[in-house]
Amino acid sequence: MTETTVFTATKIITMNDSQPEASAVAVRGGRILAVGSLDEMEAWGSFSIDNTFCDKVLLPGFVEAHSHSVVGGFWEYPYVGHFDRVAPDGRHITGCRSIAAVIERLRAADADLDDPEEPLIAWGLDPIYFSGESVRAATLDRVSTTRPVYVHHMSGHIVSVNTALMRHEGIDAESETVGIVKDGSGQPVGELQGMPAIMSVRSVFERLWSSLNASTAKWRFGHIARNAGVTTASELGAAAVTPEAIRQWQLVVNDPAFPARIVIAYSNRFGGPSDPAQMAAQAARLAEHSSDKLRLGTIAKIWLDGSIQGFTARLRWPYYLNGTNGLWYIAPERFREELLAYHNAGLTVHVHANGDEATDLLLDTVEQVLLASPRPDHRHTAQHNQLASADQFRRMARLGMSANMFINHIYYWGDQHLTETVGPERADRMNALATAKRTGVQFSMHSDEMVTPLGGLMLVWSAVNRVTATGQVLGKQERISLHDALRAVTVDAAYQLKMDHEVGTIECGKWADFAVLEADPFAVDAMALKDIPVWGVVLAGKLHPADGRGRE
Amino acid sequence: MAKAHPIPVTVLGGYLGAGKTSLLNHLLRHNAGRRLAVIVNDFGSINIDVALVESQEGDTFSLANGCICCTLGDDLAMTMTALLKRTAPPEQIIIEASGVADPVRIAHYGTMPGYRLDAIVVLADAETVRQRSQDRYIGATVHHQLLGAELIVMNKVDLVSPATCQAVRQWLGIVAPGARIVEAVCGAIPLALLLDLSLDRMAVTTDVVGDRLVDHRSSYETWSFAKDGSLDGARLRALVEQLPEGILRGKGILTLSDAPTTRTIFQLVGRRWSLKQGEPWDDALPSSQVVLIGLPGSIDAAAFEQALQ
Repeated sequence: MTETTVFTATKIITMNDSQPEASAVAVRGGRILAVGSLDEMEAWGSFSIDNTFCDKVLLPGFVEAHSHSVVGGFWEYPYVGHFDRVAPDGRHITGCRSIAAVIERLRAADADLDDPEEPLIAWGLDPIYFSGESVRAATLDRVSTTRPVYVHHMSGHIVSVNTALMRHEGIDAESETVGIVKDGSGQPVGELQGMPAIMSVRSVFERLWSSLNASTAKWRFGHIARNAGVTTASELGAAAVTPEAIRQWQLVVNDPAFPARIVIAYSNRFGGPSDPAQMAAQAARLAEHSSDKLRLGTIAKIWLDGSIQGFTARLRWPYYLNGTNGLWYIAPERFREELLAYHNAGLTVHVHANGDEATDLLLDTVEQVLLASPRPDHRHTAQHNQLASADQFRRMARLGMSANMFINHIYYWGDQHLTETVGPERADRMNALATAKRTGVQFSMHSDEMVTPLGGLMLVWSAVNRVTATGQVLGKQERISLHDALRAVTVDAAYQLKMDHEVGTIECGKWADFAVLEADPFAVDAMALKDIPVWGVVLAGKLHPADGRGRE
Repeated sequence: MAKAHPIPVTVLGGYLGAGKTSLLNHLLRHNAGRRLAVIVNDFGSINIDVALVESQEGDTFSLANGCICCTLGDDLAMTMTALLKRTAPPEQIIIEASGVADPVRIAHYGTMPGYRLDAIVVLADAETVRQRSQDRYIGATVHHQLLGAELIVMNKVDLVSPATCQAVRQWLGIVAPGARIVEAVCGAIPLALLLDLSLDRMAVTTDVVGDRLVDHRSSYETWSFAKDGSLDGARLRALVEQLPEGILRGKGILTLSDAPTTRTIFQLVGRRWSLKQGEPWDDALPSSQVVLIGLPGSIDAAAFEQALQ
């Protein structure tokens, strides 16, 4: 007979409203056999006790319904972003809050490279925090005048390079490519804006590109999840679903050492058929490659607009503070065809809609699709949803839709939203979780890793505090309770991935997937929530301690 | 080397249903002997004639007439870089922008090393473009696409009355004051307008559209000029700057008096034009040749000739 292990803990927060708390959980064959007190476990016969967590708090493993694995590839290179991040190996990396700090980190990385020819690649640069000062060749030449230096900005659309790299790639005053920024005298300054210009440093870009698609990137993504207490993460449509890519995912995720379940959303962004019916058929067929840990063929992704901070989201009147509006990424007619095809193939469609005009188009289209082809329990999910207003949430609820909210934006860009993008009133109701709750729409919260760092605690902290990077509170009436916030990063996120019957609560019959915390979220100050140390995770009963903490 | 012979890039924009695919099919069937590479968003609607396909390699189809057709792949910039590395690189690239893309942004790809932007062509469905431009969601996008055009192809004119056609043309002139406007049925416009052809092939002839013969010669005029020796650069510039609005495309291989030993290449699409240094004449006899294509009434041959003599 399969062995039974009982884990004891200071407190088990189950997120199962029928049994909110427990002190012991029995695991058999990777699944939860029983939840309760140690005494209550006796009914299941003999078991061994594991006291590893006797001074820790267990939650259901966090579920992330909108993340991207590509970040794992970037971690092959030094991070020079503004905000602190935790590296896949568990090291706490301090943000570079000044240009001097960027240079210092790059110099250290330069010293670490043996081959003098090897380009130095770094990522995460966000010069908006350097009050107008830019990081270009003049700055990067202070790192090296001989080694090519390439720094990928956080926005993903801009790269800063040094003079050595420009010389190596033949970028000079003669270069005519749009996006190679030049100074008053016509000399390139070391900033490449947009892909045509970035391809001017092709050799280095291709090196980075191959890192992003390597299996090591996927492993690192799993480690990032583990370090943040996330046991189910998603790759929401920004990775290829070619046969080779799927094989790589299988090899990595099905490895018993890989510490997370991964749900891959289908998209044809990197090739594949373009006829909507064929796309949907291919998406559904991917289900045959699924396993307990790797899920394919259940969800699809469509993009409607851009980002709010990039001024490319589609907004309702009165648009951005500067009077502009953003970009559509798909024609409405085409969107309807794709949505209908996925819908008819039984998939749950996750639709990127940042601005409220994009949300309107999404709701109009879902309504048309449902009238044409009624289907119970579709769970089509509005992703990001940052400016959705009460009328839109009411409509979402009536249409049976879910909302996945980008709550981390309040901290990471809230200050910019107040003064630069949409202004105070709309900034206050960005990611309006309390409104979503009141209107009865099913909702979760996401990090969009790598846009913001993966992790349930940071999301919960953002939802209950709504504090920006400079400490301002944005829309305190949109704060939600800690309980609701925890639901939104566990069982309610699992619902959107169609896995709420398998994960998301600590409850008999579900996978034994736990986030292991060093403190009880209900016992700490709300502002300390994001800093609760994560011991690691349990996945299907197997212990995966976060790196840097060591095994017990 | 890449700098000496950049590959011309044409961007084909316009909202969904404006007829980009018809135009591309037209182009692939009548390629004027050019090795064209057509980059499409998807193959869904292009319906490549299987009989024409010689080979397929991944997402790239090679046709018997030397053209290739490929999808965007991971990224347009990477796809275009790969095209440069082919053993027989294409002689012109046509990028089909997505129905909501800003063709001007796509045109930036035409400035990558090894390439030069030839033309931004935007299709407008004569039947629906005005209505679309009022659409709550995509109205502004449609306006913006037209505004970025150098050449607007007002397509499907056979589906509207002459009065509507006239009204749409007038409306386009207002919303896209910088663009030149031509009319088409099923996207069939003279290749000489759409492509950077050699001077001797810049003739406007006929096309077969469905079972109909379309004689472009009644819709366009061509003017050719040739002389031995050089032209006065200042006079040429003055002429080009004052060309009538109806002039749509021009090309010349010239000898300018201020650079008598090298060829000067003249290119004009819509109201954008350039003079760039070409190959040296070396042992060849320096000469000057120009071809202009315009709408009826736009060409005043006597005046043009007088301006250059």
